[in-house]
Amino acid sequence: MGPLSREQLDAYIRARLALAGFDLEKLPEEADPATGVPTRAQALASLRSFVASTPAALASWAPPASSAASAQQGAVPLLYPSIDEARGGRR
Amino acid sequence: MSAVSRTLNRRTFLAASAATAAVATTGTVVSAPPASAAPAAPTLPDIDVRDAARADASEATLAEAAVLMKRGKLTAVELVQAHLERIERYDGTYQAYAEVTGDAALAAARKADRGGGPRGVLRGIPLCVKDNYFTAGVPTRCNSNIFADFVPDEDATAVARLRAAGGIVLGKGQMGPLATTRATTPNGTVTTVNAWTPDDPSVDPGGSSTGPACAVAGRLAVSSIGTQTGGSIVLPSNQQNLTGLKPTMGRVSIHGVIPLSYTRDHAGPLARDAMDAALMLSVLAGPDAHDPRTLGLPAVPDLVRAATPLVGRGGAVRMRRATRIGVPADFLTGAAQGLREAFLDRLDGISGVTLVDVAYPDDWALLTGAFNAARLSERTEPFRHWLRADPAAFGVSLLSWLQGLMISGDEWITAQRAKTHLLREVLDGVMGRCDVLLQTGPVPFDILGLPEIAFPIGFSDAGVPAGVILGGQPYEEDRLLEVAAAYQAVTDWHTRRPADPSAGARLKSAAARPRLSAEEAAAGSA
Repeated sequence: MGPLSREQLDAYIRARLALAGFDLEKLPEEADPATGVPTRAQALASLRSFVASTPAALASWAPPASSAASAQQGAVPLLYPSIDEARGGRR
Repeated sequence: MSAVSRTLNRRTFLAASAATAAVATTGTVVSAPPASAAPAAPTLPDIDVRDAARADASEATLAEAAVLMKRGKLTAVELVQAHLERIERYDGTYQAYAEVTGDAALAAARKADRGGGPRGVLRGIPLCVKDNYFTAGVPTRCNSNIFADFVPDEDATAVARLRAAGGIVLGKGQMGPLATTRATTPNGTVTTVNAWTPDDPSVDPGGSSTGPACAVAGRLAVSSIGTQTGGSIVLPSNQQNLTGLKPTMGRVSIHGVIPLSYTRDHAGPLARDAMDAALMLSVLAGPDAHDPRTLGLPAVPDLVRAATPLVGRGGAVRMRRATRIGVPADFLTGAAQGLREAFLDRLDGISGVTLVDVAYPDDWALLTGAFNAARLSERTEPFRHWLRADPAAFGVSLLSWLQGLMISGDEWITAQRAKTHLLREVLDGVMGRCDVLLQTGPVPFDILGLPEIAFPIGFSDAGVPAGVILGGQPYEEDRLLEVAAAYQAVTDWHTRRPADPSAGARLKSAAARPRLSAEEAAAGSA
């Protein structure tokens, strides 16, 4: 799979924002120094860059293992690893 | 369900039930833990008070001020008044405070001097509180339009504990909007300056606990509390010559703190030296029924003892325990390389210290770099209401909240899996041969919830403070304090104070307040 086109990224971003209830039209078209809030174009540009790089980096990682089945058993997801280490971990 | 989790859940339930019962009975929210779980109240160390502190109350460390008051050489009113006078004179330049509660502070000080009020170790000590901590009856704006009119009806647990130990809140410290960047107005205009360069707002003061750092550095408060999600205690501490301590996740309750990233928000002190950090953390730490993360954890160690350096008969300082200090390969790089080399030489000369070279695993950059983005979904979720209703209220900070919407649930879970893997790499690998680890950035230990202490090691050629960050094992804040206290016993960087702003500094700084763009705010966000 090659990289997504700008049109594909924009379509994804607009759909995702809409599903989350975020109205892109509420952002200004021109810079608004009074609030400092980004314009629609700034927001789209920022999100294009983010979507093009970050989700795939996260999705491509798995714990080192000899097989996909073994990786499922590795590194149980933990919200608070330090807390779990103290409460019932190896210390 | 394991026996451990059953026990924990029962303990959580009982603690929460006790708190609920107390509310029902008294109408007051009680955040004190059961007596059996409460850490022992810290005692005041027997320290020598420097002449500078005797001559000027605003010069004193927390410990020095407390000792002077105990000996009848200083009153709470004198101490509070000294700091309020400096706020009046200099905060137009520093802009460390978002809100000053001078009348209430003076009233509390008078009461303390009459023998009333709490009698804890912080009795009469004037403090700055970051503006994301709830303060009953006092605006808590988080430097954001979202909270412009928010006045909490209760104190955050941390604030309540400071007050219960006798601490006096002077006011609320400026911060990066919603705890993201250096302190700015919601539209990105820089507010708080670095106390060491008050006429040049372009010099980084560190964020996001910028005001609490500047208040202590500029002698507008004796000590302060901040929060850290991505370096926001240790970075401003390094930039302004302070000793900042980010405790292990759960060591201090974050009930009543406006959230940024719930798996990474930590509360902790920004202080003048290791002893002050120890006193503050001793008061702050311990279980809180309102925050389940704080329950069932190792007991708070004797932090004051840990921060008391050991000096032999011949005057030589030695470590309280033999301590192996890990030095990563990239520690001796960058602009501060010379200062860091001198720091390591000095550290290596302390009896009981062993420096150990350590290497990072191959996936370090990925797991502490790209995976840092997983925190963004955590900031988005509790702010959905405002994202839908009034995105302009986020001002310059909006972009990272939108980025959080772009990570899928499965990717976020993968990030939590990666945290577990990273923890093992750190504890079993990187720290397998050392007790504490020098850091080249705060993010890895923020991701893991591990403790960090920041302390000063000198100054750049431009006169800006430089510091280091030392990371530790879970709930071993005492080890971090032992190292910082020993180093501070053989150096005097932590005793240096910046010159007061010149008469022209306010005009200079007012004319040149830079602004952060939305892109800069997102790129530099905690």
